[in-house]
Amino acid sequence: MFEVRLVQGSVLKKVVEAIRELVTDANFDCSSTGLSLQAMDSSHVALVALLLRSDGFEHFRCDRNVSMGMNLANVSKILRTAGNDDIITLKADDDGDVLTFMFESPNQDRISDIEMKLMDIKSEHLGIPDAEYEAVVKMPSQEFLRICKDLSNIGDTVVISVTKEGVKFSTRGDIGNANIVCRQNTTVDKPEDSTTIQMKEPVSLMFALRYMNSFTKATSLSSSVTISMSSDLPIVVEYKIADMGYLRFYLAPKIEDDEDQA
Amino acid sequence: MGYAPLPKWASEPCIMGIDEAGRGPVLGPMVYGCLYCPLSYQKTLASLDFADSKTLKEEKREELFEKLKANDSIGWEVDIIDPKDLSAKMLKRVKINLNEISHNSAMGLVSRVLDMGVLLTEVYLDTVGDAEKYRIKLSERFPSVKFVVSKKADSIYPVVSGASIVAKVTRDRTLRNWVLDETAENMHRNFGSGYPGDPVTKAWLDHHKHPVFGFPSLVRFSWGTCASYSKDMVEVIWESDKLDEDGSGSGSSSGKHQLKLSKFGFSGSKRKSEDVESTGKGRSKFFQARKLELLSEF
Repeated sequence: MFEVRLVQGSVLKKVVEAIRELVTDANFDCSSTGLSLQAMDSSHVALVALLLRSDGFEHFRCDRNVSMGMNLANVSKILRTAGNDDIITLKADDDGDVLTFMFESPNQDRISDIEMKLMDIKSEHLGIPDAEYEAVVKMPSQEFLRICKDLSNIGDTVVISVTKEGVKFSTRGDIGNANIVCRQNTTVDKPEDSTTIQMKEPVSLMFALRYMNSFTKATSLSSSVTISMSSDLPIVVEYKIADMGYLRFYLAPKIEDDEDQA
Repeated sequence: MGYAPLPKWASEPCIMGIDEAGRGPVLGPMVYGCLYCPLSYQKTLASLDFADSKTLKEEKREELFEKLKANDSIGWEVDIIDPKDLSAKMLKRVKINLNEISHNSAMGLVSRVLDMGVLLTEVYLDTVGDAEKYRIKLSERFPSVKFVVSKKADSIYPVVSGASIVAKVTRDRTLRNWVLDETAENMHRNFGSGYPGDPVTKAWLDHHKHPVFGFPSLVRFSWGTCASYSKDMVEVIWESDKLDEDGSGSGSSSGKHQLKLSKFGFSGSKRKSEDVESTGKGRSKFFQARKLELLSEF
């Protein structure tokens, strides 16, 4: 038996909206510790990792570990029928092939339930290597969204360089070059607006803006975003989900052709 | 077009009207026309009964156009914007909207006439978008010229009416003599007014659509009307897109190479669908590729 009840149903809506562009089908893995998802995009360049811990749910029951394959476009269609303030309950039998979504309006006067057929998706659990990152930048998620959007008007890749002075986002395109520098700043009264940089080594890596823009679909989940980089690792863009877990995006860098094609 | 040798009056202060034809239609070129004459000729111009080209019959327009061509005191120019150009600009990655294209065409005409050596002092034109913003844009570009941007300029100022005749007649002639680039059976040129609402135009579009190539290049692909026709067309998979996605597009000009996550020890990657013999989702690739189906009776 699997049954979980999430009072803040909008969290699930936001999560699905944030990842459905990147991943079409994915397995939701449920265990007593929580609900998690891990999936790569079709070109194996980006990876999504989601964790919703069981203690963030009002009620969480998962008798045995199940892996539920879903098409995210379909999940999104179903979740769109739920209101933003609705309480969402997910239910499934251990050996069943359907998942039931139940939406309750806050004053309990409207209850809908929708059954969705589950899919059989062959995927192995990926091992994400543990790493200490050389540079970790925390900044307002809106700011990051704006930077990615603005830069993609000019070029299609972004070079993110972290130095002691700040973090620089730069791009090059047919019409010219652009640089945006964010300096470290901490405002005591509004910690969510602060930009902090923890750095062991200066790092500079290049990424496809197309993916970055896709990651920023998660902006509404959190007021701040954490970007972790190391010179020989994929970047991690993390949106914390308050009291529950996180939504992380991993993206492999791009390199200049001549360096690699040897 | 217009006059080859510069008329004597070009050094006098001149006025010019600019108007467009064929902004709305889903097919054919958009034409910007202008008409200029010395300021002193303005009164005579008013007596030539130019009116807004839309209110005139086609024969009358043709007649007036022939008259103004023969008139030594009037000069004119046109800018014909090919439908292919319109489609390309409006559908480009960095899109240029129709207003912007219109502005550029009008400015092109002004600078063309100025470059010819005509002393323009006043230019009248119909507004495109916000009148005041348009006027400021024009004035900044051509500080020596006074611009009058107004709604319905083509019915208020005779010089703009004249320009509208130049534009309209040019568009009509271009469309009449249009040679379709495409050669397919059963193509005809009975395309009606070209406005998206016209049943004749709709029938023409319906008849001339091709499941892969869309419409003949006479059609402005960027028009919303066209999108509704593309629903039942075949989806084209561009090999280059796929290469770009894989990041291995050696032909891509960027010179950048997208690395895969597997390079960084993200182990146990998902098996490619080609390797999967059978999934719960459908029949095995082997059967699909060979179009083998299960039959219950035969």
